[in-house]
Amino acid sequence: MNCNEALLLISAAVDGELSFTEKQQFLLHISKCEGCYGEFDDAQRTKMIIKERVVRFKAPQTLINSIMQLTSLSPKETF
Amino acid sequence: MDKPDPAQQRINMQTHELLSPAEHKKQIEFQNEAVVHLHALYNYALHITMNPDDAEDLVQDTYLKAYRFFNSFERGTNCKAWLFKILKNNYINIFRKNSKEPGKVDYDLIKDFYHSIKDTRRDTTEADSDYFHTMLHEEVYQALLSLPEEFREVIQLCDIEGFTYEEIANMVDSPIGTVRSRLFRGRKLLRAQLEGYARTNGFTTDTDQ
Repeated sequence: MNCNEALLLISAAVDGELSFTEKQQFLLHISKCEGCYGEFDDAQRTKMIIKERVVRFKAPQTLINSIMQLTSLSPKETF
Repeated sequence: MDKPDPAQQRINMQTHELLSPAEHKKQIEFQNEAVVHLHALYNYALHITMNPDDAEDLVQDTYLKAYRFFNSFERGTNCKAWLFKILKNNYINIFRKNSKEPGKVDYDLIKDFYHSIKDTRRDTTEADSDYFHTMLHEEVYQALLSLPEEFREVIQLCDIEGFTYEEIANMVDSPIGTVRSRLFRGRKLLRAQLEGYARTNGFTTDTDQ
């Protein structure tokens, strides 16, 4: 595997989307290539920061109630 | 005041009880499969509309449609992905219909969001020496919002919502290879933004050393 091929696989490697063979070849390449290892490491850390730092909001109770109501209405009230 | 008509009352009660077993089963299944993703859907709706009222409407409309077409949901597949696809289509339709301009971000609104949750959310990784970990939620979010929509979208779906490439490809109507390369380029752009913030805040990065 050369650098161009490895770079194409970086996001898939970060997201666990590589096939078994692809993964083996990719790991072998980055163990020998500092540049590609750096790209991989950067991408992985960027993913982590997004996962950890982007705040998740909870749906307001009014919305929860109305969705719950939607699924507990009689046929007459629904249509 | 009119006295309630007992006959009418009886009819109403009967209608209520006459929920067919199939409909009842559908309701329970819908609650278990679909309603459990309410917070994720609201969260995503909020991120794409940047407006709490729009987000609520979008989610409500999504669930209405999902319930109506629940029979077409392929059992055994990811219901969350199915719901997100409906939400996305809804979003596109609403913004086309109202000829609203999507992607316009109200930065003051983001500030307000982060202000209101600032004290309730504390990360345990605060002491980590990695400069990334000293960044503020707000800065990371601003960096994400600064990306072109096609990159931001796949990053949100992958890193925040945890969808597979196949699910994302289906949601954004693009081949898996496109999802792959958008994620790669998107993360690179994001990284550059974050490093920019780090530098202006006086943090040194690996490349400076």
